[in-house]
Amino acid sequence: MEVGQKTRRRWGRPWMVPLLLAMATSGWMLAVEGRQGLARDESQYFRAGERYWGWFEALGDAVRAGKPGQAFSRNVVDSFWGDNHEHPPLMKTLYGLSWRLFHRCDCTGPKRGLHPIAVHKHRTLPLFARESTAFRFPAILLAGLGVALVYWFARRWIGPWAAAGAAVLSVAQPHYFFHAQISCFDVPIAVMALLVALAYWKSLRAPRWGILCGVFYGLALATKHNAWLIPCFLLVHYLWMRRGDFSSWEPSKGSQTLRPPTCHPSPLASLGLARWCAAGKAGGLPTRFRLRPPRVPLAFVSMATLGPIVLFVLWPWLWHAPVPRVREWMQRHAQHEHYNFEYLGRNWNLPPAPEQTGRWLLRATFPFVSTAFTVPVTTLALAAAGTLVFARRRRKKEPDDQLPIINCEPPEPGARASWLRPGADVDLAPGIFLAVQILGPLGTLALPATPIFGGVKHFLAAMPFVAILAGVGLAWVTRQAASLVTAERLRRALPAALAVLLCLPAVAETQRSHPDGTGHYNLLAGGFAGGASLGMNRQFWGYSVLPLLPWIRAHRPPSNHIYWHDVLHDAVLMYVRDGRLPVGIGDVGVGEPLVAQADLGVVILEKHFAVYEYLHWEAYQTTQPAQVYAHEGVPFVVVYQRKAPSPRQEPLPP
Amino acid sequence: MRLGSFLDANSFRRHRLAYTCAAGIVVLALVETGNALLAPLRAPTDRDWRAAAATVRAGYRPGDLIVAAPAWADPLLRLHLGDLIPLTVAGRLDAARFGRIWEISQRGARAPETQGSRVVQSRRQGALTLRRYERPAAQVSFDFVAEWNRAAVSRVDGGGRVSLCYRAPDRFECPDSPSQSLKPELLEIDTSPHFALSIPLAGRATTVVEFDRVPLGRELAVGAGLHNVWLRKAGRGTVSLRVLVQGRELGHIEAGSMTGWTLRKFDTSALAGQSQSVRFEITVNDPNSRTLGFAAEARS
Repeated sequence: MEVGQKTRRRWGRPWMVPLLLAMATSGWMLAVEGRQGLARDESQYFRAGERYWGWFEALGDAVRAGKPGQAFSRNVVDSFWGDNHEHPPLMKTLYGLSWRLFHRCDCTGPKRGLHPIAVHKHRTLPLFARESTAFRFPAILLAGLGVALVYWFARRWIGPWAAAGAAVLSVAQPHYFFHAQISCFDVPIAVMALLVALAYWKSLRAPRWGILCGVFYGLALATKHNAWLIPCFLLVHYLWMRRGDFSSWEPSKGSQTLRPPTCHPSPLASLGLARWCAAGKAGGLPTRFRLRPPRVPLAFVSMATLGPIVLFVLWPWLWHAPVPRVREWMQRHAQHEHYNFEYLGRNWNLPPAPEQTGRWLLRATFPFVSTAFTVPVTTLALAAAGTLVFARRRRKKEPDDQLPIINCEPPEPGARASWLRPGADVDLAPGIFLAVQILGPLGTLALPATPIFGGVKHFLAAMPFVAILAGVGLAWVTRQAASLVTAERLRRALPAALAVLLCLPAVAETQRSHPDGTGHYNLLAGGFAGGASLGMNRQFWGYSVLPLLPWIRAHRPPSNHIYWHDVLHDAVLMYVRDGRLPVGIGDVGVGEPLVAQADLGVVILEKHFAVYEYLHWEAYQTTQPAQVYAHEGVPFVVVYQRKAPSPRQEPLPP
Repeated sequence: MRLGSFLDANSFRRHRLAYTCAAGIVVLALVETGNALLAPLRAPTDRDWRAAAATVRAGYRPGDLIVAAPAWADPLLRLHLGDLIPLTVAGRLDAARFGRIWEISQRGARAPETQGSRVVQSRRQGALTLRRYERPAAQVSFDFVAEWNRAAVSRVDGGGRVSLCYRAPDRFECPDSPSQSLKPELLEIDTSPHFALSIPLAGRATTVVEFDRVPLGRELAVGAGLHNVWLRKAGRGTVSLRVLVQGRELGHIEAGSMTGWTLRKFDTSALAGQSQSVRFEITVNDPNSRTLGFAAEARS
């Protein structure tokens, strides 16, 4: 009996379920990440991460030499931290640190020259067989943390099974899952945005979270520039939550009076005019209208002060020239070039001309249509149900037994709002909060002024909140089922059974999509083939070459002239370091003229890359590829092999 | 044991819509899970492709066109049958000159090249469907790309001064832009292959490509567009291609960064059977990063 109670108590601890969810998520990703190729940007972050680690080694050397200041000189700092400085360093630093700690070191052998810094035999804890896995480990852990945060957040409104369902649905999305296991920033910034949002939410009633909100915001800033938008979304919620503060009515001293009408307060309350009505009914006339913005709460003060401080401390590249370099960083992203991106059969790389209204509108639909076609349909349906639940909650005003959400944070009776506890006296408006967190990232991508980025990855920050909404929908389905079932044992089993059942399609779709999550489309779109037929983007970053590496290795041309197309040289080097390609494998470089110099050529099949395929046809005088990698019959990569000997046969230097 | 003993019928009657929606979500979850597990099994396998390719090879005749439906399966088609698809066929002006078309399709798709044709052979090969279509092929009396070396190419500046371009064995070179040459080559226009005359544009002079004694048929099909995705992105100018027969303008095609590949068919039935000069005049308002590709066929 005692043992049973102890076990139950342990399970009842608030951190136990999220911990298990996080471990399961990270375990799932570690089990499958090796099948996913190295993404172009990721390979640059490997390089930068290793360089950043190099600075810590230089710091150690300087300390040992008794001259620690040397490591902080501008030259030394820039030589390490200047690499890939268009993105802040937090994740890259963690990637580098993880590599240093956990890779299996064969650094002093033939691969020695493949590192961006000088390496020597070092002692590590060799957890991973491949160096790339060691780099990816922090991202994978952070993805696990994201799942735990979704659970914590969702538990504010729904029961444990539905919250666990929300947590699973947050990661069981093919595109999210793809980005969660690689050493990039898109899922890390989504997790950071969630962390900041959670801290902000808690700061509405608890001051210490206001301080943490600033610290977390600094971490978010040090993760990716998307963090600039986080306060904007939170501000919209804050202003809505405190909309009653905008107006106040005072006894009039002069002639400028407004006479409030006889009115029912309910409809006007939402417009912040409740006091006007109250004043009219009480006969306290005449009164004077005064516009008064709500107080600036601690969370925003903290984000405005601690955020930049944390960013500055974490980013050595800023240390010697903070203002011009922050300006350079901001300008780089504010004036970003338009990418090439396939959407509904077109290649988008230019903003439509002002007179092309149809194209403007079509482009604006991208984040919404992409969400509708990429998130598992059951998750979308649950999120729609969750939306209705919150809408109904708002309409009802009063607690409603029919609604599945727990109102665990009601306004405290008699509490007064202050800048330290700005949500003490009001409903926290969770529905608006979630709506802003979802529509904010999507809406930003839909704006005509936003450069064409493409890729679901750019609005992944919305997805944890979509999952929370889906969790609310799951709770609603469970409530409906429970109210219908009379058998007690069956009723008790329903939350778990429905959570498993309703998460199953998302998990199955995610498993099905791997390792080509970017090319996956949902049931509405018709899967991989349906997405391709709709003319939706299939991939980017050249990661998909991995399944063809054994063939390329076996058919390496005698000249060693290989054209790798969008597989960046840094990625080729990491494939070599991982032992997936031989040391000395050739790489003629990038660019159209180099296609003809190679005897083996890779082409990543993206719509705008068609030109490279035709260059191979011309150079090799054939339209017939030697190999094609396809997922569910949809081609991703082709390899061309020159049949006749090329004019140049001198081998490339390794 | 009856179902009614587990369920509250009264509650169901009171909240029928809510229960139906909740049940709908559960059914959707089952369907989506089933689809996720079964859909990969419905994709065509390598064996399906090999079997379809063997059938095509058995009945193939030179001059046949082989296409995939949907078009995104084209790399797999070429993996198995690429040796039967030369560059000029892959970069065809259109499919009008092909009387026999082999189509390997999946998921009920149909290739646009087969429009107006009748199915004479159809066969399932696993998840693939192989069909052979036939139709009367257009008779090409003159292919302007294949006969490129019969052209006279010149540049006419704003003052009307004409400078002739020199014909090398594989290209034309113009004196005012020696680094740029006019030649037939495989171009990427609108992210598709087009075997066409490539005309890099330099300066504001008009480029004139003139063919003498062209045997005309009932129509003149002309296709044009701008080459290279990066050049289309970088440049802003619009290129105008005027088509003239015996000095009379039949029409023109405007090519800009977003116009893609434009195919126009000009009626020449009044001139059918005659040999006339056909002149293409190319002008551009901003030549930066502009390379026009055009192809044309005189057809009966």
